[in-house]
Amino acid sequence: MRYCKEIFSGVFLVMALLLLPGQVQANGDDYIAIRKEGSGKIALVLSKPAASGGKESGWAERLDVESRSGLDFTGLFSLIPPPLNVAGPRGSSSQSINFGALNSVGAEFYAGGAVVQKSGNVVLSMEVYDTLGGRPILRKTYTGKESDLRSIAHAFCADLVELLTGRPSVFGSKVVFVSNRSGFKEIYMCDYDGHGMRQMTNTRSLALTPVLSPDGQHLAYTDYASGRPRLSILDLAGGKRRSVARSGNSIDPGWRSNAEVATTLSFQGDQEIYLVRPDGSLARRVTNSRGIDLSPSFSPDGNKMAFVSSRTSAPQIFILDLQTGQTKRLTYNGSYNTQPSWSPQGDKIAYSTMEKNGEINIFTINTDGSSLRQLTSGSRQNESPSWSPGGDMIVFTSSRQGQKKLFVMNAAGGGQRRLLQLEGEQMQPSWSLRLK
Amino acid sequence: MKRSMFLLKGLCVPAMLVLGACGCRTDVVAPEPVQPAPAPAAAPALGDVFYDFDQASIRMDAAEQLSQNAAWMQEKSSKRVVIEGHCDERGTSEYNMALGERRASMAKEYMVNLGVEPERMTTVSYGEERPFAAGSNEEAWALNRRAHFVEE
Repeated sequence: MRYCKEIFSGVFLVMALLLLPGQVQANGDDYIAIRKEGSGKIALVLSKPAASGGKESGWAERLDVESRSGLDFTGLFSLIPPPLNVAGPRGSSSQSINFGALNSVGAEFYAGGAVVQKSGNVVLSMEVYDTLGGRPILRKTYTGKESDLRSIAHAFCADLVELLTGRPSVFGSKVVFVSNRSGFKEIYMCDYDGHGMRQMTNTRSLALTPVLSPDGQHLAYTDYASGRPRLSILDLAGGKRRSVARSGNSIDPGWRSNAEVATTLSFQGDQEIYLVRPDGSLARRVTNSRGIDLSPSFSPDGNKMAFVSSRTSAPQIFILDLQTGQTKRLTYNGSYNTQPSWSPQGDKIAYSTMEKNGEINIFTINTDGSSLRQLTSGSRQNESPSWSPGGDMIVFTSSRQGQKKLFVMNAAGGGQRRLLQLEGEQMQPSWSLRLK
Repeated sequence: MKRSMFLLKGLCVPAMLVLGACGCRTDVVAPEPVQPAPAPAAAPALGDVFYDFDQASIRMDAAEQLSQNAAWMQEKSSKRVVIEGHCDERGTSEYNMALGERRASMAKEYMVNLGVEPERMTTVSYGEERPFAAGSNEEAWALNRRAHFVEE
């Protein structure tokens, strides 16, 4: 498998991060990183940015810490301590980088640079080299305010990961979830690593099953503010909230595109899945079968929908082709399969199975029903899988420590760990795409 | 305070029983009993119905209760009810939300078939969000798989 990635001009990226407009110089070279799928971690030496002056040194320290913890979170890198003689005094010129030393410690890539102060702003210039050829593969400047050091570091990390893997990174993505820490179940949002958490709803009743639109502009969820479960769509920029004004109950929304969210509605009697516009108006009905139809999750192109149905008695996962109208059953293993989540790369669906002993475990399966893989086991209830933007990680809920808490793991089930240290129960996480 | 109330109640109840037994009508200088007298057994009372695991179909014992509920509604023809569907904690919460709604609507459908006007009943699902009984055992689970009837 070859991953290739062009280096784009950094101008739009910096603007998209809402950093201050500043000097951006990116080289326009093309670079192709070749890695075998399933090969080990990427061996990287990351040097702390060079800095002169007390303020800049403090920035360099913080940028280094944020970059390291960010890259470490991805699980993609083996961060090798920089050899003492790795670079010359400036640390940012290819002539002064000691590639021999880098090769001898087993580094495949080297990243380093410098941070300076310009018109009160932080200006980070980074360079990444392929240590074998000694060739620069990324050269880019990131500018922002002093208060944006974390996002400046993450903008560099995003470029590095996307360059080396060809996939979107976690940097800039959000996780929305439910917590009962206030005494009521409300919706919260945080960065991919749990930082910057904020409460999104204050229904003081029940708010459940949050999910962000692909562009991050709208948050859809179910709440009981009206006394019964209704679909709410919150415009995050304007703060305006819309509800679906239909009788019956609404359950578990999933976005098809920025223009349509699907959810289960029962105003016609039976529970069916409908497409709803962000203004709360109904676009159309997509399922038609007696019994439960639930939990829509769409292929990246929006043409197919995975969902849960009780049409064959016990809950199983089905795939509906919205163009042909054909529905086929995906899961045959186990008698209680729910919570499908379609990977952003389109090839896999993660879901949960309730076992006979009461355990709930997370599985992945290819969309053609092949390659069934169990990711959790022997740890009570593991539920609500949701993919990272690059499809290489999964966030989920686990009760392995007693109360339900948020966990992350890689797509093969490795590296399972807590995401948030937060009181109360946390559940129903949903990972956004990388938000521009 | 609580203790003295308890003592009063303790004295009052046997006194009432004695007075009731002799059938005398005398002024009794004692507080009213805290508990209202139970309704005559013949009058229908609104009650909850219970379900099997992962099922929304009406069991035999539920059918009897639903007939009582229908009779209650026919007697009190101005009343409206909310039927809440509930599930036990097992399984996943979104599916339980759907199952809870099916439980409530199956109960409603049964009542409609017994002649209750559908406009007088609304259904809402709470899934596994509002359990009645605490605990992770079959006893608690059986109590939590219910359609709960609430007078509006």
